Amino acid sequence: MRRRRTGSRDVPRGPEPRQPGRVLDARLHLLDRQVLDVDGMPVCTLDDLELEAVDGRSAPDEPIDGSVPVVVAALLTGPVLGTRVFGGRPPASRWHRLSWAHVVDIGTAVRLSVRSDDLDATWLERWTHDHIIGRIPGGHHDPESS
Amino acid sequence: MIASDLLDVPVHDDAGAQLGWVVDLRFVLDGAPDAYLARARLHGLVVSPRTRTSFMGFERSSVRHPWPVAPILRWWHRGAFLVHWPDVARVPHPDEGAGPGDDAAVVLRAGYTAYEPGL
Repeated sequence: MRRRRTGSRDVPRGPEPRQPGRVLDARLHLLDRQVLDVDGMPVCTLDDLELEAVDGRSAPDEPIDGSVPVVVAALLTGPVLGTRVFGGRPPASRWHRLSWAHVVDIGTAVRLSVRSDDLDATWLERWTHDHIIGRIPGGHHDPESS
Repeated sequence: MIASDLLDVPVHDDAGAQLGWVVDLRFVLDGAPDAYLARARLHGLVVSPRTRTSFMGFERSSVRHPWPVAPILRWWHRGAFLVHWPDVARVPHPDEGAGPGDDAAVVLRAGYTAYEPGL
């Protein structure tokens, strides 16, 4: 069914009440930001946000409407290049989740309270280190510290 | 549900009239205290009546420079508004809108209130 558009496109707007906490817009302040671990090492970029109902009633793949408050459950990173070009979303199993409880600060980067070695999101970097870089002579140490 | 399920989705009122597209999600850190930060509560949806996405958020800030980029983008996004999350009656399922002819949209409740989107 084709939807009709409103005539003027301009909806009457009232002033937004002042909010009691810090205000963040997803695209402006969160998405595509670099995620750093507790030592300042890069972990990933923030590709998406997992939302859940406050009471935890909803399944991760189920939509939630405005009848229940919704909070950010986790930061998501994963293979989004293809879906951003062609549309759709990666299956839930391909996302790496970083719990919101680990987020320490949000600025030009998102800082975590954990080390990147402890996160599933960096498995590819660890695998590359162990199986490719580590087999190159001299690949096990920092050249400046040798 | 993930943020991408809402972003860029058309927004309709309860009568079926299209109001625009979701260009951003607004969160407020006023939820229950977590380990370091308060939980980020989904406060509302930023809706633009003319464009599917936003660039740098000029329509939501007081930034006036660089001229003429800022004024042009502000004019392009004129009419953008914030609608609070409790005014959202329906959110499309992630599988909706995947095929041609599918009509996935966020539907607002009757009597919803639109607010200025400024940060």
